[in-house]
Amino acid sequence: MIKFWKKRLQNPISTKNLEFNDELKEIKKELKSVIAKRFAGSLAIRMVSSGSCNACEAECNALSNPYYDLERLGIHFVASPRHADAMLLSGVVSINMYHHVLDAYHQMPQPAHIITLGDCPLLEGTFKQNFAIKGAKSLNLPISHHIQGCPPEPKEIIKGLLEFIKNPKDF
Amino acid sequence: MKDFPRLIARFAVENEDNFEVITVYDHKIQREFLDKNSPVLNSISSIYTTATWFERKMRDDFGIKIAGTYDNRPLIHHERFPAIYPMRKEFQEQEVSFSQYSPYKYETVKGEGVFEVPVGPIHAGIIEPGHFQFSQEGERMLHLEVRHFYTYRAIEKSLEGIKLLDSREIIEKISGNESIAYQSALFNIIIQASSIKYDDKLKKYHCLLLEIERIIHHLTDIGFIPNDAGFGAALSFASQLSEDTRVFLKKISGHRFGFGSIEFETKEYDANMIENFLNTLEEKVKWFENWIMDIPSLWDRFDTTGTLNKKKARKYGVVGVVARASGKKVDSRDNDFYKKYGFILQNESVGDVGSRFKLRIKEIYNSIEMIRNFIDEALHVEQPKSFKDGEYMSFVESSIGELFMFVKLKDGLIERFYARDPSFINWQALYLMMEKDIIADFPLINKSCDLSYAGSDL
Ligand code: SF4
Repeated sequence: MIKFWKKRLQNPISTKNLEFNDELKEIKKELKSVIAKRFAGSLAIRMVSSGSCNACEAECNALSNPYYDLERLGIHFVASPRHADAMLLSGVVSINMYHHVLDAYHQMPQPAHIITLGDCPLLEGTFKQNFAIKGAKSLNLPISHHIQGCPPEPKEIIKGLLEFIKNPKDF
Repeated sequence: MKDFPRLIARFAVENEDNFEVITVYDHKIQREFLDKNSPVLNSISSIYTTATWFERKMRDDFGIKIAGTYDNRPLIHHERFPAIYPMRKEFQEQEVSFSQYSPYKYETVKGEGVFEVPVGPIHAGIIEPGHFQFSQEGERMLHLEVRHFYTYRAIEKSLEGIKLLDSREIIEKISGNESIAYQSALFNIIIQASSIKYDDKLKKYHCLLLEIERIIHHLTDIGFIPNDAGFGAALSFASQLSEDTRVFLKKISGHRFGFGSIEFETKEYDANMIENFLNTLEEKVKWFENWIMDIPSLWDRFDTTGTLNKKKARKYGVVGVVARASGKKVDSRDNDFYKKYGFILQNESVGDVGSRFKLRIKEIYNSIEMIRNFIDEALHVEQPKSFKDGEYMSFVESSIGELFMFVKLKDGLIERFYARDPSFINWQALYLMMEKDIIADFPLINKSCDLSYAGSDL
């Protein structure tokens, strides 16, 4: 344990060297104040993967690493749709996930938002509609915002969330 | 037991006048031909337990009846899946409607006081969908059934009828965290089917990328494993290293996951930059290792948890990290080419969470060493124009384990594509690791194996 604290004292801040740090700082500043205003200090997101290649989830997991540390801005991922303001939907909405996504949506308190993540859900990327790939539009649910990319990088996800927070449709 | 061949894959191909079932073992390939009008296949699941999923998949894909099996339940055809056999050539629908809900019968243990805990398909964390059904006697896990194929995207079908080179865009996205492995497996097939030579410089570049992918995967896991045992600081530290390595991968390949990087040319890269990066990384991993090894309360959780002994590992033919942690020496990199560049097969013996954790750290060091040796000059090779018809197979060691790929070309187009993700085998052995543990250990055990859902579901 001693070793650990020694290291902490020597290298207190880990975000120093990343090249996009300044840009990120700006985004973070902006994000924090909007969340405080619109979502009473915290935005709760339920991530639902509906048939992705798992890279989109990996990038969302990266949002919790100390470089991005999304939680300190008041955005956090929650374990149940019942606690969520928004569903972050990745993947193509596969035939075997279709009804589960609907179930999750109907568990969310209203107003519930859907944010689509990556090129998959809107079938804008490699995966096109087929008998096993339904796409998010087939759910017939309102989609409040879309974050494009394959996968969108953590920085782009943060930016996308900021855009959503500033201007969520059907708000 | 010694000569017991390892089952690698078992899948069907539709020919003009029969269904051909190809079974690939480590030293032989077997072919069976079935009548098209009433296809019946004799099960081998009494000898090979892991044949079960392969056979259930064939049933769902082609409507092949499996005789002599103890498990006739659907695998891909979930509750509302329509009555179709999508891998048959005659099936060409692009849209199908759902059928009536018909419930799935889970494997459960019955008895007084025994209850079931269903988990999934949507999980509490940020993770792919899958279902785990536990039979519990209080805290004690009596049985676990893993039920997947929620991310089934009909990828095998959608690759049929397209050109070999055009398949790259889809194949690299079968399983994102194994993307480079999938691309490499396909590239191997491209080389076999064309007349070009796989230049050593190009091969070294591809192997270099594959080792970076492996390092990222291991780094992510050595953070998440202690995290699931309640030690979050480890995740904070290791997730920085995996982020650094992702940024590094992007510098070299142009993409954070290496999409589109296994090509006929290498990117220009700066050998000094790589050297510096690797030195720093190595130092940080060493520091991390010392730190974690020194925390007895963590090792209380890791040791003896989720054990898969060598005998069972062999019986189930598990691959990759899971196999090597149990003392089985299987690694597709165990060949002269890799050895020339510093590959040393790493293994542990106990097969518990602790073994898998330690193995991952050892493999990171070996991968770093190999990357140093793989550094070479940039190169550009002409892209082949035509491909010979025929059947091709390739093996690549992904960050999870042995990946097997099969492509049959006919008239220059893909007639059949099949890939067996290492996870497809290992998922079937997961329940063996639960037998002596409590349900609270499940996330820890699952994470220590870190299998892919998307790769296994396809
Ligand atoms: S958008 Fe791209 S990265 Fe995200 S799940 Fe789809 S294929 Fe994978």
